[in-house]
Amino acid sequence: MDPTGVAGLCRRGVKMSTVTLDKITKIYPNGFQAITELSLTLEEGEFLVLVGPSGCGKSTALRMIAGLEDISSGDLYVGDRWLNDVQPKDRDIAMVFQSYALYPQMTVAENIGFPLKLRKISRRERQEQVWQAAEILELTEQLEKKPAQLSGGQRQRVAMGRAIVRRPALFLMDEPLSNLDAKLRVQMRADIAGIQRELGVTTFYVTHDQVEAMTMGDRVAVIKDGILQQAAAPEALYDNPDNVFVAAFIGSPSMNLYEATLSEVDGHYQLQLGDQSLAVPEQILASRPALRDYLDQPVVVGIRPEDLEDAAVASDHPNDQRLDAEVAVREALGAETLVHFSIAAPSVDSGDPDALDELGDEDVSRCTARFSAATRTRVGDRIRVNVSTEKLHFFDRRTHLAIRT
Amino acid sequence: MRRSTRLSRVGLHATMLVLVAWSVLPFLWTFQTSIKFTRDVAAKKPVLWGYETTANAYRAFWLDEDDINMWSVLVYILAVAAICLILGQIGKRVRHSWPWFSAAVGVIFVALWRFPRIWEVNDEYDFLINSIVVTVLTMLISLSIGLLAGYGLARYTGISGAVILIVALGFRALPRTAFVLPYFFGAKEIDDWLASSGVGSWDFPFIDFPGIDTLQILDTRLAIVLALVAVNQPFTIWMFRSFFMEVPKEIEEAAMMDGATRLQAFRRVIIPMMWPAIIATGLFTMLLAYNEYLFVRVLAPTEWTLPVAIVSLTGGESSRTITEAAAASVSITLPIVVVIILFQKHLVKGLGAGAVKG
Repeated sequence: MDPTGVAGLCRRGVKMSTVTLDKITKIYPNGFQAITELSLTLEEGEFLVLVGPSGCGKSTALRMIAGLEDISSGDLYVGDRWLNDVQPKDRDIAMVFQSYALYPQMTVAENIGFPLKLRKISRRERQEQVWQAAEILELTEQLEKKPAQLSGGQRQRVAMGRAIVRRPALFLMDEPLSNLDAKLRVQMRADIAGIQRELGVTTFYVTHDQVEAMTMGDRVAVIKDGILQQAAAPEALYDNPDNVFVAAFIGSPSMNLYEATLSEVDGHYQLQLGDQSLAVPEQILASRPALRDYLDQPVVVGIRPEDLEDAAVASDHPNDQRLDAEVAVREALGAETLVHFSIAAPSVDSGDPDALDELGDEDVSRCTARFSAATRTRVGDRIRVNVSTEKLHFFDRRTHLAIRT
Repeated sequence: MRRSTRLSRVGLHATMLVLVAWSVLPFLWTFQTSIKFTRDVAAKKPVLWGYETTANAYRAFWLDEDDINMWSVLVYILAVAAICLILGQIGKRVRHSWPWFSAAVGVIFVALWRFPRIWEVNDEYDFLINSIVVTVLTMLISLSIGLLAGYGLARYTGISGAVILIVALGFRALPRTAFVLPYFFGAKEIDDWLASSGVGSWDFPFIDFPGIDTLQILDTRLAIVLALVAVNQPFTIWMFRSFFMEVPKEIEEAAMMDGATRLQAFRRVIIPMMWPAIIATGLFTMLLAYNEYLFVRVLAPTEWTLPVAIVSLTGGESSRTITEAAAASVSITLPIVVVIILFQKHLVKGLGAGAVKG
């Protein structure tokens, strides 16, 4: 990518706008409610990622902003303009489609220049702006080719070019990277985020891939079954998930979630996890006084894989904050090693339709741990696992809401 | 393994040869008949080699003079074809192709117009013009309606769309003969009303139709075109609908996001993607209109097109006119063969699935 080209586009003046979704609801004629009272505000130049499992209504939300679907109720504003009844062509919004939707009979240059042509911009000026966009996207060599002659990554960039050449008030991107192979996706992820930052155009990005969401977004909004779960900066979302769904959905491998019981024994707190127990430091309860109400009752406890470590590697960990385990699967990734074992505690269904169902016995759940590469464990070994208990997450068993106060 | 593949290949080629011969031989036979003298055609034992050739049959069918050198006519036709081909090739290679293609169409017009002024022609020449007018008009109207209706029905998935499609299919499935009399009587009713009410013989101010004294429907090219468009419409609608179904909806949506109205998206993005489909459907429509016999025979007692003219003028199976009938058949087939050869690449593309996907 060429940053000087971006500067050229910026000099032409970029309209920046806040985008407000106020209780936007979509009900289809057959009665299906795809989106329920979605309220979000995008600051000027913000990159917001809407993430959720397949079929959660995220594309519907995007299409309503685009004007390709009617808004059943609620209000949509870009800047001060109320857009509910405005035609897509008049909304000043550019969109990148998952399938790219390039015009097959036009060359790359004609594809990128098409929005300008519709605005009756002169041929000279059009060529200049197409060239600038192509320079940013490194497409200058491909301008005379047809889409069919391009690779997937190049097609994706042409679709981007068609969006950025207009300098719209808002970019919409509908899973633009999902048709690319893994390596290219990582690169394009950084490129798109970089271009967006340089151009400063407010961007609404939809994906089902939480890694994309975490790496690209200034803010991430998690949605499930058409209902917004949580919208926060990626780190906040990761460290303080509002509910079990967000906790399980964000992070890879995802958070281990079990039903467990917290109890007080001789002034010390301990967590009963199946047939094993963990000592819980006082400060956890000090910072979450509400947790006291849950003493001796089942709660949902969440452990991130990286909060588990092989005891043989970190031997200075307190002994009462360790679990016994038998290694079932070991995945060496080089920088780290993922170890799977089972824990004799009931698992919790996070409600993610894409997640695999727990297999076998109801009271035995799988657990994924992210050990440092120094671990020497092998499949079948009986090991001790350190648990960073100060980083445990607690949720209500019935409402699935986080216990944080 | 090798042996068997070679054997099967030989078998395949042999089968293909038989099939090709099966379809081409009748045409070759007709062509041979058209250039023979009557005595060779009428010979009891077919004369397949070494007969004397003549263009008499062609001359008799098309021209009114006996002493015209047919070579000059052939050179005229070949020259026109060559000019059109050159203009078409240039059109394919330049950015703005339409002036060149229109020039080619213009050349054909001028050639058709000049021909009867150079040589004295028979009535059949008028029927050729009728054929061309009927075919071109039927194609234009059918394709326009088919494109719009097919697009609408491809995008609209409601119940009434399905009803229209099924009705259209049923209409198509009925035998052609079922329609011809209703059309005839319908047109006759209108003509009777035009005549009795006096509307048919009005003098319209400013408008003067050359050669038309009274307004009527029966026995006009318009009647044939209307009837052919009606029977052909289900076919074009279904064809275009299936092609439009293959155009991803996102392409239109992308165009609308880019600032196009629905109509602009249709005209500037979707239609250019549809050229293979338009050419394929257009060729089938052309064949239908050009070869139609029944409707023309019934709806136009004198304004014939070529198929009717051939049967009526060369009539019967007497050996005296059989060479003329053969010459007529060959000369009306050739334009179609030329058009199909020119467009066969698009025809295959249009009929193959996935032609419009990027």
